[in-house]
Amino acid sequence: MLKNLSKLTAAAIITIVLSAVLLARTIGAGLNEMNLQNGDWVTSTATGTKDANIMLKATVALGGLLASAKKDSMYYRLSTIAGEPLRLNCRYRIEGTDYDANWWSVTAYGWDNYLIPNSPRRYSFNNENLVRNGDGSWVITVAETEQPGNWLPIGPAGAPAWRKLTNHDFDLLLRLYTPGEAYLDTPLSAPLPRVTREACQ
Amino acid sequence: MKWLKWLLGIAAFAWAGQYVLALLLPNLAMETLYLLGDERYGHNQLVVAPVPDENSRQVVRPSPDLLYASCLYNLQDGALTIEAPVPERYWSMQFYQMNTDNYAGITNQRDERDRVGTIAKVTLISADQSPEDYEGEVIQSPTSRGIVLLRASAIGDRTEQQAALDASSCSPTAPS
Repeated sequence: MLKNLSKLTAAAIITIVLSAVLLARTIGAGLNEMNLQNGDWVTSTATGTKDANIMLKATVALGGLLASAKKDSMYYRLSTIAGEPLRLNCRYRIEGTDYDANWWSVTAYGWDNYLIPNSPRRYSFNNENLVRNGDGSWVITVAETEQPGNWLPIGPAGAPAWRKLTNHDFDLLLRLYTPGEAYLDTPLSAPLPRVTREACQ
Repeated sequence: MKWLKWLLGIAAFAWAGQYVLALLLPNLAMETLYLLGDERYGHNQLVVAPVPDENSRQVVRPSPDLLYASCLYNLQDGALTIEAPVPERYWSMQFYQMNTDNYAGITNQRDERDRVGTIAKVTLISADQSPEDYEGEVIQSPTSRGIVLLRASAIGDRTEQQAALDASSCSPTAPS
């Protein structure tokens, strides 16, 4: 009897831990039918609303608590390029122009969903502080080591490495505040920055 | 073969269990945020946060391009009044219930541009109170507790936006 009880307790603990790991991986991989894919960027128009399903609400709770609804802001997240998770040992190039919103920004977050510690204390670029080309276009280089131009530094997340359950080391978040109609009506095809991997060590 | 049955059972329950955890997670995350914030700053009052940086770890994914002020509210003792000067650049006041839903919000964008330069005054009431009993702009919270979040642009010169948040308040509504 006692033996069976301890077996059941052990099984229950393993089940709960496994459930948590499965949930973290599902959320980390963005595996949710409410996610909308625009290239490598992922968004959801139901974020922050009562229409969000339980997985989206859980995703928001873990990785975007207090996100606002789409009329106020749209969030596009990128954690992989053609299926390859973003890595700290690689250098990435983000190219873009201007986007129809009151303001927009590109921010790098560690796998722990917080801003990445870095010595220049540079966490994002926005539509006003980017160095642009003559035609208004711009390039951001995402890398651990200093780069010329718009350098978005990355590095180890602030949380201890043993807590990492995601495949990616960091991700990028494009915020569009007061987004234009293209983002509200056709979020899958609205114009977004292009992200490519330049090199890995 | 008995161990195989156990393994299959654990796998099946774990798979289903992730959905149960997903169901609990939003309230759990909000409760944790509320309890920690309440313990540190109290409720029914506005707290202006410093500009987010790598040390900002109270709420996930803070934007370094925004200034934030928040009010953890509890309407059990009555309505609250939130007053906030509205600056020229992006500003919003969003209302969240304890399951993370952003159930209401006002802004200085789109057809609300006429708020710029005014003082937004919102009375926040609970689900069992009647909006007719209050004057002006009234928002009814689906739950007795929740969070009001003020966002203001931190892009460029942030003097006006910072002053607007510093002058904002969240306090019990005075009896009329």
